[in-house]
Amino acid sequence: DVLFRLLLIRDSRVGKTCLLCRFTDNEFHSSHISTIGSQGVDFKMNTIEVDGIKVRIQIWDTAGQERYQTITKQYRRARGIFLVYDISSERSYQHIMKWVSVVNEYAPEGVQKILIGNKADEEQKRQVGRKQGQQLTKEYGMDFYKTSACTNLNIKESFTRLTELVLQAHRKELDGVRTRASKELALAELEEDERQTGSP
Amino acid sequence: MDQSVAIQETLAEGEYCIIAVQGVLCEGDSRQSRLLGLVRYRLEHGGQEHALFLYTHRRMAITGDDVCLDQIVPVSRDFTLEEVSSDGELYILGSDVTVQLDTAELSLTFQLPFGSHTRMFLQEVARACPGLDPATRDPEFQWLSRYRCTEMEPLPRGGNSALGTWPGCARIGGGRYPSGEGRWGLEEARLQGWALLCVGGVVMELPGFLLAEAAAGADPWGSAGGAVRRRDEELEEAAEMSAAAGSRDRDSSGGSHLDNLRPNGKGLFVDQSSRGQDKPENLLTRQTKSKLEITDMVRSSTITVSDKAHILSMQKFGLRETLVKSYLMQKEEDYTYIQNFRFFVGTYNVNGQSPKECLQPWLSHGIQAPDVYCVGFQELDLSKEAFFFHDTPKEEEWFKAVSESLHPDAKYAKVKFIRLVGIMLLLYVKQEHAAHISEVEAETVGTGIMGRMGNKGGVAIRFKFHNTSICVVNSHLAAHTEEYERRNQDYKDICSRMQFCQVDPSLPPLTISKHDVILWLGDLNYRIEELDVEKVKKLIEEKDFQTLYAYDQLKTQVAAKAVFEGFTEGELTFQPTYKYDTGSDEWDTSEKCRAPAWCDRILWKGKNITQLSYQSHMALKTSDHKPVSSEFDIGVRVKNEELYRKTLEEIVRSLDKMENANIPSVSLSKLEFCFQNVKYMQLQVESFTIHNGQVPCQFEFINKPGEESYCRQWLNANPSKGFLLPDSAIEIELEIFVTKTMATKLNSGEDKIEDILVLHLDRGKDYFLSVSGNYVPSCFGSPIHTLCYMREPISDLPLETVRELTLMPLWTEDDGSQLENPMEIPKELWMMVDYLYRNAAQEEDLFQQPGRRLEFEHIRDCLDTGMIENLDTLCILHHSVAEALLLFLESLPEPVICYSAYHNCLECSGNYTASKQVISTLPTFHKNVFNYLLAFLRQLLENSEKNHLDENILASIFGSLLLRNPAGQQKLEMAEKKAQEFIHQFLCNSP
Ligand SMILES: Nc1nc2c(ncn2[C@@H]2O[C@H](COP(=O)(O)OP(=O)(O)O)[C@@H](O)[C@H]2O)c(=O)[nH]1
Ligand SMILES: [Mg+2]
Repeated sequence: DVLFRLLLIRDSRVGKTCLLCRFTDNEFHSSHISTIGSQGVDFKMNTIEVDGIKVRIQIWDTAGQERYQTITKQYRRARGIFLVYDISSERSYQHIMKWVSVVNEYAPEGVQKILIGNKADEEQKRQVGRKQGQQLTKEYGMDFYKTSACTNLNIKESFTRLTELVLQAHRKELDGVRTRASKELALAELEEDERQTGSP
Repeated sequence: MDQSVAIQETLAEGEYCIIAVQGVLCEGDSRQSRLLGLVRYRLEHGGQEHALFLYTHRRMAITGDDVCLDQIVPVSRDFTLEEVSSDGELYILGSDVTVQLDTAELSLTFQLPFGSHTRMFLQEVARACPGLDPATRDPEFQWLSRYRCTEMEPLPRGGNSALGTWPGCARIGGGRYPSGEGRWGLEEARLQGWALLCVGGVVMELPGFLLAEAAAGADPWGSAGGAVRRRDEELEEAAEMSAAAGSRDRDSSGGSHLDNLRPNGKGLFVDQSSRGQDKPENLLTRQTKSKLEITDMVRSSTITVSDKAHILSMQKFGLRETLVKSYLMQKEEDYTYIQNFRFFVGTYNVNGQSPKECLQPWLSHGIQAPDVYCVGFQELDLSKEAFFFHDTPKEEEWFKAVSESLHPDAKYAKVKFIRLVGIMLLLYVKQEHAAHISEVEAETVGTGIMGRMGNKGGVAIRFKFHNTSICVVNSHLAAHTEEYERRNQDYKDICSRMQFCQVDPSLPPLTISKHDVILWLGDLNYRIEELDVEKVKKLIEEKDFQTLYAYDQLKTQVAAKAVFEGFTEGELTFQPTYKYDTGSDEWDTSEKCRAPAWCDRILWKGKNITQLSYQSHMALKTSDHKPVSSEFDIGVRVKNEELYRKTLEEIVRSLDKMENANIPSVSLSKLEFCFQNVKYMQLQVESFTIHNGQVPCQFEFINKPGEESYCRQWLNANPSKGFLLPDSAIEIELEIFVTKTMATKLNSGEDKIEDILVLHLDRGKDYFLSVSGNYVPSCFGSPIHTLCYMREPISDLPLETVRELTLMPLWTEDDGSQLENPMEIPKELWMMVDYLYRNAAQEEDLFQQPGRRLEFEHIRDCLDTGMIENLDTLCILHHSVAEALLLFLESLPEPVICYSAYHNCLECSGNYTASKQVISTLPTFHKNVFNYLLAFLRQLLENSEKNHLDENILASIFGSLLLRNPAGQQKLEMAEKKAQEFIHQFLCNSP
């Protein structure tokens, strides 16, 4: 079994908390009171099977406000990152580029990213064309998913995909997974540098 | 008690123990106390390196004598010390923190005490870890070389007299420690126990497997080769063993290793030919029973995570797995259905003969091909050799005879083979079912001579067929008519002593009764009682088996509930199977002239079992017994893969949900805090409430990355940590209080009322609280020269001006021509002194009585707004003003006698002329203030009859205010005395 961390980042209100909620609990609350809950760092555990490997993922949901950036960077020690924008918000799309550079700055080498265009159910309020999503995808070499926490579109698929990407990226280490005295097959190599990246 | 002090005593120059914590080193079952000290070493060229020193200790360590160095782990690039999350387990509040120390070479587990000290320790260690920046040099740890061979070196200083207790050679483990010798601390990392490793679909069973991860030397490259080589040898040896076990030669030579097919807990390898495809390095088999210790390690590279291969780790036996299993069991009906399979069960006492005739009449004539064959023999070999050496050529002969006589319409795979002296049991299944057979185990129980030997007893094979567990027992019970109670006892012994290993070694062994289906066959040896031989033979001739059956011992014993409780037997419609003259159908004509009996029987227990036939086979004449057979339709639980996957997914999901619900979570009544108009030394409080959810939790404000404390100096959270029971709440007060140490920077804009607090829930979320506000600059905390340049009250000045003036260097006064004419002394000082001079010159105990806090706030506001007249109109205690004056002097960032002049003053204390000389070197404004204050104090002394002040009192009060030690807080009595003396001179002498 493998354990690692995935991270969701985005602007506020693009629906990241809802994505997580839908994925782990299969629930969606449209009246989600996000302000209080989202100011900080939250996480949930999930178990999925990819390629016959049972993977336990810890998914982090971080506050997106700019002023917390210096703090949230310590949480960026994830193996995979979801970059989420809201298809009904041009602004959130514009900010993705900013997030990409932030991630590149703080995240460990080899971190896997995928791009998520959320709220795909809001077709009538659409501000960001699908082409735009794909364009970013090409530019940064990321996979792209159009999702909706509301209608449960592509939620499982996107989480599974990112997990797969992380596993692939760490295939070597995985092949060398050792039985550990901790009685747990966590990916030692994968977690190894966490503290170091975390320290300033 | 800070135990780092004790450690420090043992360290050499340049080494510093940053923090120490007492923990428990866990190795297998052993628990040993260790002191963990994080030691820093400053390198000559700058930079620093760290190592974790592990000590044994004889009590709460107080001095260096109490500790004894055990091991050193350099904090290298590959060093990690991480909390081990107890996955899936409920976190127990206040329980120890388990941490895992890993380097490339070793792996240790510690339990550290719960609490903030441990947290601090972990933070310090994290901070000590060298970054991954390739630009920085790899740590070399040359300073540790002194510990490697201490016999050559003097003991570390610190007077550790316990020379004998100091290890001759402390172990330095892990890290890229550039040394060839490196087998230190290896035993520690071993884990004894069972491990099941699935390699390319083949399970390796390694009893007593030693996880010797750390067995590689300190140099990860140098010694890794050796380790790999050792492992390969191991594998080769193992492969040889399994090849031998699998060869037919070995089988026919009578080895008891016929069970060359290793169950893997999941599927089954059908025949030997498939083994040829297994590369030797993928196959590592061991005899389950010979619990050899494999002392070498099996390193990661042999384990490949292929598409289908599961890694059955120790975690498999963790709580989470156990939960999944038991939920699966509970919901079995949701994803399985019953399907009938045809079982053939046969038993044959062969009286030590070799097979002489074809067994087909018994095994396959007149029936359709069964799905499963369970074939048992007794008295396979009656020779002494078989009895004493457990070796018999008959084994192979009968095995062949059976294999050749199985039903020709189907292909069968042998699943398992087990023999105890003459009692043998064979299990075959149709080839297409092989993949659905799992968890195959076989055991034997001897109940013969001395109650242990194998001339009597039972053998059994247990397995899972699809989702149903099945146990087949073949027994040969005690002989002789009168011995039915022995037979009953043999049955009980077999039941109680027959125990099968489980895949999960943490579970208790399985017994026969724990199976869904039990098939029991054998020569049970129960006889026909109370009838003489002739009567028996007559009833048989008449085929009146019903009457005869009434005298059957097994029937009567079962009816009396003395044996085979819960078992069923079909109606006996065939004549007794014992005892015939060999080679005939004639009853025994020997001297003993045994009475006929139904010795050979087949019974069953379990649900969904239908017996289709129960018969003997007279055609076979090899033995003095006739073989018996029975066909069954047995309803087996078959998995619907689709439904199974769904159920499993649901279970995993619900466990995740449970786990997520167990992550502590709180709600906060407020997340943004704005403090308006924060003033010097005026407490402002904002409170909020933490409402806990359903999980007990520990909360704490934690440091942000790279910061020393959880909040800025002027802020405080009260309480800053605590526990919350489910559904409880706690009020937290955020207090702002600006004192002299922070005021100057707030005035200058170098600091702002702005902070983010991180409220951390242990094992849970983090919440960010943002604090903002504005500070109202005050004369308190402003430098003397700054105030002199402020002709306006400070509150009338734009913030920008206050900032500029505050940042103005001390010595700019002379060329400050572009600025307005400065005042000679700060007007605020003048206001206070003037007030005291006018109103309180004769006040008793002036400067010795405390003022009132609220009045101080008025005074501060008056000074900052320039409303001097308010001081007079407000009814204020003189003592409050006197205290404000002292506070004013205390909060000056640069004391009246500048830091740079401090030592000069102390030196010439007692020499008045020289002292005056020093004063004259002060910056003008400081000199002015000094003279002004002293003049005022001398004025007070003139009223000493009224105010009872004298030179000594004033010198002691003002000495430490006007002269402050640049080194900071340390109070040296001598220096203080001299400072007082210095002021004293000026009080006694008029200038
Ligand atoms: N229509 C629609 N609304 C969504 C979707 N996902 C989230 N929302 C809404 O968007 C708002 C912000 O969601 P939230 O998850 O709190 O955003 P966060 O700040 O990124 O965590 C909420 O009101 C949600 O109900 C979606 O897929 N479709
Ligand atoms: Mg959110």
